[in-house]
Amino acid sequence: MTLESFGQSAALTLGVELELQLVNTNDYDLAHYADDMLRLMARHQLPGSVVPEMTAGMIEISTGVCETSQQALAELSRIRDALVQCADKLNIAVVGGGTHPFQQWHQQRIYDKPRFHELSALYGYLTKQFTIFGQHVHVGCPDADTALYTLHCMSRYIPHFIALAASSPYVQGQDTAFDSARLNSVFAFPLSGRAPCVLTWDEFGAYFDKMTRTGVVKSMKDFYWDIRPKPEYGTIEVRVFDTPLTVERAAALAGLVQSLAAWFQQERPFAPVEDDYLVYGYNRFQACRFGLDAVYVDPVGGEHLPLRDHLLSTMERLQPFATACQATDALALLRKDVLDNRNDARWLRERQAKERLLGEVIRQAAQRFRGRDA
Amino acid sequence: MFDPSTASWAERLQSTPGPLTLEWALLLALAALAGHLVQRFSGLPKIVGYAVFGTLIGLAGFAGAAWPLHGVGLYLLELGIAVVLFEAGARLSLRWFRHNPMVLVQSLVEALLTFAVAFVLLRALGLDVPVARALAVVSVAASPAVLMRVVSDLRASGPVTDRAIALATLNTLYALTAGTAMLRSIDRGDASLMASLASSAAVLGISLLVGGLLAALLIGAFKLLHPTSQDTAIVILALLGACTAVTTPLGGSAPLATLLAGIVLKQLHPRPWVWPRQLGTAAAMLNVLMFVLVSSMAAQADWGGVITWAALALIAARMSAKLASLLLTGPASGLSLRQSLWVGVALLPMSSVALLLTSQFVVASHGIGARVAAIALPVILITELLGAVLVGLALTRARETVKPWRGADSSGGDSPPGSLT
Repeated sequence: MTLESFGQSAALTLGVELELQLVNTNDYDLAHYADDMLRLMARHQLPGSVVPEMTAGMIEISTGVCETSQQALAELSRIRDALVQCADKLNIAVVGGGTHPFQQWHQQRIYDKPRFHELSALYGYLTKQFTIFGQHVHVGCPDADTALYTLHCMSRYIPHFIALAASSPYVQGQDTAFDSARLNSVFAFPLSGRAPCVLTWDEFGAYFDKMTRTGVVKSMKDFYWDIRPKPEYGTIEVRVFDTPLTVERAAALAGLVQSLAAWFQQERPFAPVEDDYLVYGYNRFQACRFGLDAVYVDPVGGEHLPLRDHLLSTMERLQPFATACQATDALALLRKDVLDNRNDARWLRERQAKERLLGEVIRQAAQRFRGRDA
Repeated sequence: MFDPSTASWAERLQSTPGPLTLEWALLLALAALAGHLVQRFSGLPKIVGYAVFGTLIGLAGFAGAAWPLHGVGLYLLELGIAVVLFEAGARLSLRWFRHNPMVLVQSLVEALLTFAVAFVLLRALGLDVPVARALAVVSVAASPAVLMRVVSDLRASGPVTDRAIALATLNTLYALTAGTAMLRSIDRGDASLMASLASSAAVLGISLLVGGLLAALLIGAFKLLHPTSQDTAIVILALLGACTAVTTPLGGSAPLATLLAGIVLKQLHPRPWVWPRQLGTAAAMLNVLMFVLVSSMAAQADWGGVITWAALALIAARMSAKLASLLLTGPASGLSLRQSLWVGVALLPMSSVALLLTSQFVVASHGIGARVAAIALPVILITELLGAVLVGLALTRARETVKPWRGADSSGGDSPPGSLT
């Protein structure tokens, strides 16, 4: 199979996908209600789509193609309201967050769909451990080469994305000491990581051909990269976000991606080279482990500086692009959290310190997802 | 030759709770073993093993408790039911009925249709009104105990599991209220509708009062204790024991009181329900005792030809009524037709609550009670034996049980219920 050609999309358009948790309202463990939610959601007229995910306690929602993060927020809010209504009817709750804090991976059931069973047969327990919840943001690129350029510039901001979205401190009932433990499950897959540093679609096609010849991959879907091109949509897809606890934060993160892409595509500020990736793994680990308290190593100069400072200076730099993208509110929301040193992982830890009961933390997170602060 | 050591052993035994305790302790251990072996070798839920074992000892005349139930036997049965119903009640969220009133409608249709079909059938079979009415009420109750036990054995979860437990809890609530009220008027002949309603309200009111007090005490305790600690489990169990001891003498129904306590607690204290794991072994032991007691008592039924036919007819009518009402109301309440069918099947068992009510009817009026028991006991036995298997089948076919690791094949629902590691 050769690589498909890169599709058409208007530059800087957005699409947001959110993987969400379905939990019961007795002990707030994951509830296997995906089919029922899909059946009830089908009765609602909504933008975007709602589809099943790997295990039956997950559901994925996505917006249509949006011009701005405000439009994405409006669509996500409408879908969220419908989800909450259907969940109420079924006596379950919908929650954000990158992991379910105490679900036992071996109790999860693979959603009944051939592809999921194939994956499950190949990856064994990794599939069930893959009961993790992420946000993907698509951003439109005018052509394939610009897409690859945008992708490699965006790679420098992977730690920033991870720290802002981190919402998975708890796994299997334990505090992992990571702000985003979810990404550790992604690393376990052989084709995770980063895209090869090539800047033209021809070179990328050659890489793809070599990989398919090895028989290791069959399609772009087999790459679990942090950012990957999505030729069928004409976008690049940022995949490192934990699902935030609110749709407001999800839309704000999309606004950040859009503003960055606008900067890269309009000013071409960097010249990506393979050596940029020398510090990639280290920066990524720092962000997963320490969140907003991480250290960031500049890929070009090699200086070590607090990620928080780099985030603030980046947001400063993005102001004009954010204004053009109507993403100033989005950036303001994120900037405030950086100044307060808060992300969702911190919120979850604070609640757990107070309640000492992870089920109660999830109940309150479900209230937050509804748009009602617990 | 005189052996002083034997004499003194027998004497010492006299001053202990005695041979009856020894007999029950050993029976309990054997029942646990039977449950384990049944699950290990047939993949069926453990309670099939308890029920079969109970039936065998009942038929062999081993069962120590006397019929109708009284004393310690009655208390243990009530306590077993109380614990299960408390847990079932605490899963029932009134908020759910506000968002999905069709669930409540579904439950009422299911209960009323079951009552009506059973009553008409029994009248057609020539039974007197009081007997037919009592049996129809007993028929309404499904068994949250069997359901929750099978759910925990098969580690089931999902919409069919949740809905079946909710409906079983609600129809038990109706049956306990109406049944306990009926006990009061059973010897006054054909009581008027107003009198039965007043009587039901009184039972419900007293039980609610005790249940409310229990819930308030528990909420107070949760302020001091950590919900997952063993201390909390002990407090819950002890308070349920106390509640069981006082409610019936006060004129309420102990199982009803703890069921209502669970419901009140869920509304006033929305924190997640995490206690069952802690209640664990103690509750499980009460459970085994309850299933053995029920099947051994029910096995003492008189299996005459006519009565057997009447019992089978009642089972068939009851099942048709439950299935028909579920299929009728399922889709509007958010279930698919397929799920509604399996919920209906999961409502077939009737055990401990039905036995308790039957036993109380016998105490309240021997004449009517004996005729009620003649049909109720075989029905209880058959539905308990069959019911556990059917519940396991329903939950597995609804794909709500955890299955052993299965590879690429997606031929899912066809493995036997409970084929677990």
